[in-house]
This record gives sequence, structure tokens and C-alpha cells, in this order.
Amino acid sequence: MSDIEKKSIDPATIEMIEKAHIDGCETIFDRADVMKPCPIGAEGSCCKHCYMGPCRVPAPKKKEGALEKIRRIGLCGATAETISARNFARMVAAGTAAHCDHARGVAKVFLATAKGEVPEFQIKDEQKLYQVAMDFGIEIGDRPIREIAIDIGERALAEFGRQEGELIFLKRAPLKRQEIWRNLGVAPRGIDREVVELLHRTCMGVDQDYQDLLISAARCALADGWGGSMISTELQDILFGNPVPILGQVNLGVLKKDEVNVVVHGHEPLLPEIMVGVLNDPDIQQAVQSVGAKGINLAGMCCSANEILMRHGIPVAGNFLQQELAIVTGVVDAMVVDIQCEMQSLAQVAKCYHTKLITTSPKAKIEGAIHIEFEEREAQKVAKKILMEAIENFSNRKTNVEIPSHVADMVVGFSHETINYLLGGFFRASYRPLNDNIINGRIRGIAGVVGCNNARTTHDDPNLTLIKELIKNDVIVLTTGCAAITSGKAGLLTPEAAKLYAGDGLASVCEAVGLPPVLHMGACVDNSRILMAATAVVKDGGLGDDISDLPAAGAALEWMHEKAIAIGHYFVASGVFTVFGTVWPTTGSEPVSRFLFEELENSLKGKWGFEPDPRKAAKLMIEHIDKKRKALGIDRARERVLFDMAKRRELDAA
Amino acid sequence: MAEYKRDEKVAFNGKKVEILGSTFEEGKPETPMNWRKKLRNREEILAYLKTGERYWFSDEWVGSEKRKTKA
Repeated sequence: MSDIEKKSIDPATIEMIEKAHIDGCETIFDRADVMKPCPIGAEGSCCKHCYMGPCRVPAPKKKEGALEKIRRIGLCGATAETISARNFARMVAAGTAAHCDHARGVAKVFLATAKGEVPEFQIKDEQKLYQVAMDFGIEIGDRPIREIAIDIGERALAEFGRQEGELIFLKRAPLKRQEIWRNLGVAPRGIDREVVELLHRTCMGVDQDYQDLLISAARCALADGWGGSMISTELQDILFGNPVPILGQVNLGVLKKDEVNVVVHGHEPLLPEIMVGVLNDPDIQQAVQSVGAKGINLAGMCCSANEILMRHGIPVAGNFLQQELAIVTGVVDAMVVDIQCEMQSLAQVAKCYHTKLITTSPKAKIEGAIHIEFEEREAQKVAKKILMEAIENFSNRKTNVEIPSHVADMVVGFSHETINYLLGGFFRASYRPLNDNIINGRIRGIAGVVGCNNARTTHDDPNLTLIKELIKNDVIVLTTGCAAITSGKAGLLTPEAAKLYAGDGLASVCEAVGLPPVLHMGACVDNSRILMAATAVVKDGGLGDDISDLPAAGAALEWMHEKAIAIGHYFVASGVFTVFGTVWPTTGSEPVSRFLFEELENSLKGKWGFEPDPRKAAKLMIEHIDKKRKALGIDRARERVLFDMAKRRELDAA
Repeated sequence: MAEYKRDEKVAFNGKKVEILGSTFEEGKPETPMNWRKKLRNREEILAYLKTGERYWFSDEWVGSEKRKTKA
């Protein structure tokens, strides 16, 4: 394998890395060769929470004695355990803050929509509106939609500033899970409160018990999964529609040489939704013609892509590590970014070509980019202005244009409501067929494979190898975020993939229901959909009383963002064995790692795992699934006994 | 009557049998499968939520949390 082939298994990515080299344009793949990670920071052993430091307490290379261990402390006396747990907890707080601030923005637009203050947004999904109203305990009756929506918006916004009690969506979880949270005191009280409290706890001289810090981090993370992320998913569904199965395309080959290409990148669906709506505006079409382009091609990148893919089938240009490479094609006339996962280097890469980099969020500006702020009250005007910038730029393309030919079809749009409908039908939507097939062993278990890309490992390889290994072993995979885009590029998101890649049992179920073996459930905030699907499986019965009883596991082998740690921790706190790969941020403290990998299971019934090798990670997950199957008594096929009347009478007599 | 594709499978007794084959529609779907549009009004939506989303919105179902003796 050549050095360049170690960077990615995606041929389109390889082609564009080579093109970038020819064009003299530096990308993250080059920087990853030159800059190695700080070894002390990588293991979580650097404390810079006060400026008597930064203090470094790296793990010893050989076994340390008791005295050496005592000496391995910061100036204030903070142990390696405290430092490691604080760093981990801060990642949870930051990740939770990211998802929840996104959610707050959505809730504000939602309320403004309900009040009629932003006429370019509408309530599109009445069913989801009533569903959330019922969850929130809001009266429906004959009340106008607008009134119900105002109540929902106000109540959703109140969840952020709530000081006491519990977040409303916690009651969606299995009853046993709610009991576990209450008994441990980790049921989140309010979204902002948990983030603020965790940041406070991790300050110099506050919480200095690593176990307490990590349990508090669980409460904060739950405020993400069952709080901010879930609010975000639900309100976005009401505004833009609950996803249903739809055909889409993925990879850099979706870009078009003879059309104006606009790539939306980031996480919020608000502006991209409006852009989709104005693409056919006569002014836009006329402008496109006037520059000699054959059309205007909107494509997505990262989770903005997932949002408009799931609801409109808008093509996806790529995942996180392909953001610079989309520009390297030389045909992206504008890259429009909002929040999260946008690399600052985009501005530099854009300079190598003709691309206009446009920032749109007041929270995320990039030096060297054009800033056109998204204002909900003038949403269409802003969207058109951005598209016009791209159209004007079409004629500035340079000669170094090359678009990889790689494109894959995919069927996406598997919200938990849609899965419920597809499995049970219109008159009795149900997760029963899934449970039955898990019980009879055709499906061995369920896995959630989510998360980012990481330049410290081969792009797409760990996620793809893991997913292929899981479905080959009859484990159905639910996926979101950049891992979902990876699956799409490899052709795993089509019903036909079941026959090609899945084990016989899983393939037979997929064929019967018409589902792909890997189900794309949305963007990273939509991991809340996976929580809901897992809860539905529990509630349907036959597989235990709690998410932790299910033959299920989670993974994010290419994680890199703090959001991933927050997601992982809320899955663990919801009872899921969750395996991360590439690097692990608490290796500096063996007790902290042991607490996360083993001891948490005693209280939260979920635990972390770390395994960079995707095949070994799959083995760990399958072993866990098998352990759960054994505990449920469904680990071996049993003879199916058909009862005749005599046997029935015997039963009745007993 | 429509022409059905037929497949040959091995039955439980080891004999080969001919069965009706798959009935997939050829080609790619051009429109989303918007099942939610089947619900025409508030009454229908609420009725669907009570049955389809019964895990959260109805008492009339059986499941792990409904058994008389707790696990």
C-alpha cells in the first residue's frame, strides 16, 4: 500500500489528494504527516485549568511505584485521575453545549415560526407536532396548530433554563432506565444548568473525585441526548418534515462541471432548507443562464448534507475529511458554512482555487471568508444573495478542474417513526417484526455506528470495515453523521446491499421488509432517533426491560470531536456498550479508564470500550451482543412447538 | 393476471420446490415514500399516534413494561 492509499479507502478522496499535491494546495492529510499529536494532551494528562500550570502528569512508560504515583500530581495536588476526568468531563460539556446551542437556535426559530414572525418557515409536519405536544402534556383538542406550536416552542425553550425537576423527554425512556437515572441522581434538571455545573466542577479546586466527575458528566451528556439533541431533532422534524425513505446520491462525483456548484457545510438545516426552496426562483434561474451555466447544483457536506439529504434527497458531496477536497475539484463556486466541523483551512484552500467561502452564523466566522449573516426574518433574501455570489463566481473558475467520477446511490430517511411504519404497516405500525427476528436469531443484534472522520487514521476505513463485519454477522446497523456518509459511498445504504454484504439471516429480513442492512437515521443530533428506536424495541417486549438488556452496542471508531464524547457518554449513560477507536483520551490514568471501561457498568449498566482495530472492535461488540442474548435466553435456536387443543387444555389446567 | 417470477428453494424435507419469487419494482424510486401523507386530518393523526406510537401514547398494548410480574 502506498503512503497516499493509507490516507483513505475512498478512491474519490485519493484522487483529490493527488490533485491537491499537483496544484500545490496543502490539505489536512499533509498536515497530519507533519504535525504529530501532543503525547501528553492525547492521553489527557495535561492540566491547564489554572495558570500555575499547565501541569503535565503523563502516564509512566514502565510500572510506577506507590511513591512515584503519589508524586505524579499537579502543583495544586490534582492527581492524574482528577486531571484526566476533568479533561474528559470538559469534552462532554463542550460537546453538549454544541448540540444544545444548535437546538436553542432551532427552538427560537420554531417559536418565531409559530408566532408568524418568520413567514418563510412553516409547520410542515402536523403529526410530529401533535406527537411532541402529547409528550409535553400540551392540550390538542380543537386548538389551532399555531397555538399548539407556540406552547411547544415556549416549553422547549424553557428546557434550556430549567433549574429543577427533570427534562421532559426523559419520560420517553424505558421506565427501568428512568429509575436507574433517578436512583443515581443523574437525571438532568435543565440543559444549560448541567453544562454550567459541569464546567464549574472541572475548575481548579472544585470536584476532585474522578468518579464523581465522570458521573456528573453522565448527567450533562444525558441533557444532550435526551435534551438538546432530541429537541433539535423533533422541532426540525416539525418545521421541515419527519424523514421518509428517499433516494439520494453521494461522493464528490455529485459535483457538476457545467453547473454552478454550491456546497452547504455544517450542521443547521435552517438556511439549507431555504436554499432548497429558492433554487428554482426565476431570478436565480435567469442569473444561472446569464453566466452560461446549465443549472445550479446544491450539494451538502457533513451533517448539513445529512439534514437536506434526509428530507429532500439533495446529493452529498462527502464527509468531514472531504470538505477541503470538494474545493480541490475546482468546481465549487461557493462553500457555505454555518456551525461545527468547518476547518479554518477552508479559507486557505479556497484561495488556491476560485471558491468563495461564505460564513453565515454570527457564532462562527472565519478569517478570509465572506460573511453573509443568516437572518431568519429575511431567510429567502439571504439565501438568494448567497446563491447569486456563487453564480457570479462561476465564470472565475480556473483551468485546473477535475471531478472524480465516483458516485453511489443510497436510500435514506429512516426516522424511528418510518422504521416503525415500514416494519408494522399503516394499521399496526410496530417494532414487533424486528424483535421477533432478534429473538429467533435471524438478526443477531443492533448496532449504532456513528461519528466523525479522523485524520489520524485511514479515512472511512475503520467505520466501513466495522459496519461490513457487523452486517456480515447479522447485526443490523443504525447510522448517522459522517459514518452514514461513509456507508453511502460504499453502497451499503441500498436494499440490494443486504444480499451482497449481510449474513443470511439479516439479508432474509431485509429482503422481506425492503430495508437496507444499514439504516441512515440522520445528522449527529439525530442520534436521539437511535435512542428512540432502542426504546421502542425495549417497550415492544421480549428483549428485557431496559436498553442495557438489549443485544445492542454502539461505536464511533473515527471520532475526533468533543461532540462525539458527549454522544458516547449519553449512550453509555443510557445503558449501551460503546466502543471508540483511533485514540482514547484518558489513557493517562488507568483508574479513570478502568472506571469508564468496566466499573460504570455496575451503576449505569452501560460502559465504554476502546479498540482502534475495526475487526477487533466488531468482535467486542458481537461478544457483548451474544452476552446479552444469553442473558435473555435467546442465545440458541429452540424447537418451535405447535400447540394442539390437548396441550392447550393442559396449559389452562396448570 | 400478472406474470410472477418463480424461484426454486429447498424445502424442510430437502426436496426442491418452486415458489413465487420476489416482486420488487424495477428501477429507482423517483419520489419519496411519503407515508405520512396518508393521514388526512387531525383525527386520523391522533388515532395513528395512539396505535402506531402506542409505546408512548396508549395503554392498550402489551410489552416488557406491561407484564403483571416485573422481571
